[in-house]
Amino acid sequence: MRPVAVVAAGKTPFGAFPDRDLRSLAVEAGDKCLKNGHVSPSQVEAFYLGNFSGPSFTGQNHLAPYISTALGIRDVPATRFEAACASGGSAFFHAFSAVASGLYDCVLVAGVEKMTSQPTARVTEILAGAGDCSGEIKAGSTFPSLFAMIARRHMYQYGTTREDLAAVAVKNHANGALNPDAHMRKVITMDQALSARPVAEPLHLYDCSLISDGAAAVLLMPLDRAGDFTDKPVRILGVAQASDFVALDQKADITTFPAVRRAAQKAYEMAGVGPRDIQFAEVHDCFTIAEIVAIEDLGFVDRGCGGPYESSGATARDGEKPINATGGLKSKGHPVGATGVAQICDIVAQLRCEAGAMQLKRHSLGLAQNLGGSGASCVVSIIGNA
Amino acid sequence: MTGAVYTETVVHLAPEAFASDVPYQVVIVTLENGSRTTGRVLGERVAIDDRVEQVETRDGVPFFRKIL
Repeated sequence: MRPVAVVAAGKTPFGAFPDRDLRSLAVEAGDKCLKNGHVSPSQVEAFYLGNFSGPSFTGQNHLAPYISTALGIRDVPATRFEAACASGGSAFFHAFSAVASGLYDCVLVAGVEKMTSQPTARVTEILAGAGDCSGEIKAGSTFPSLFAMIARRHMYQYGTTREDLAAVAVKNHANGALNPDAHMRKVITMDQALSARPVAEPLHLYDCSLISDGAAAVLLMPLDRAGDFTDKPVRILGVAQASDFVALDQKADITTFPAVRRAAQKAYEMAGVGPRDIQFAEVHDCFTIAEIVAIEDLGFVDRGCGGPYESSGATARDGEKPINATGGLKSKGHPVGATGVAQICDIVAQLRCEAGAMQLKRHSLGLAQNLGGSGASCVVSIIGNA
Repeated sequence: MTGAVYTETVVHLAPEAFASDVPYQVVIVTLENGSRTTGRVLGERVAIDDRVEQVETRDGVPFFRKIL
């Protein structure tokens, strides 16, 4: 396996864009990325697309060549990857594998989702398709309710409180207010978080991420060629994908995600680093409880300690382990298929000191964790300065 | 069939198919044979560790009631 670099990144703002279609978002991100890397479409040897449910949200299928040709990329393999909310991460992982193996020297990875053209009830139904439709979904579970059941159990086993959950929302909204591309740039108070209307108890409105439109793209090359295209190449030190049961009721213990633990362990081994070495992370806070479970499964804290750790302020942008300095899915937004690729863009921006108001003090080793469904897919990536 | 509540939630925002049931309670129950299943709750709301009994099945979905 040869070392792989991210040489360029580009993304759209995240938000509700009624006059934008799925393809125009993906093309904007892809164009920005190619320009950022000074690469022409004809140099791209393969196109990897992360997208969860474009066909259900927009009616359009066969999305990868639909987008790649609009970018001016012709003839080469163009393929869509679907792993629920980890679709973007999965496309990134597979693109990395192809470049690391020597198959390609220049691969464009994009992630996109166009969600806001559907009413909320229909979006909820489409997202529920990432669960087990023969069981839990048929019984009336929604995605918020699956994570609500995880939160209830975490509270029962470890004493995690609603205030701990709200602390994640308050922190991520404060971070998102500094992010010019965030969907909801709004600071919220603990009282607002606690008194918002319930979605699926114990999760309330501010415990849930947003329904967003958006796209992101990154360009991968072998590290030894990266210097020809950028003076700030960053290296993918470790990346791994793992899987688990789709249905929550098949898991032995729902307060931990084995797929996150396996992907993290592999990525740490590959990178030759441990959780303590990671200086900052973008984790998959689709719901506040998901960030608490993520920091436990990534080994940043012991099991059951995620809630008090969040409440202590340690994960704030000026804390010892900044988590979701961009605002996370909570405030930045969660256009499902774009999320995993956008996390990579955000890590790259920190490493290159291009994060503007979001720039962190310690920024030479970052981690991205992208979760699919209620833990059935996970991609963990560790990226550092080359 | 009887079992114990492993976890639960009360759903307030639902897809159209379940909109008329809101608010409703979803549970994961650990059955006596050790397996788990996801179902709905009829009557009084339940909490983790409550004993429940399956009282009916609708379209393959088990409905549970608290054993008082």
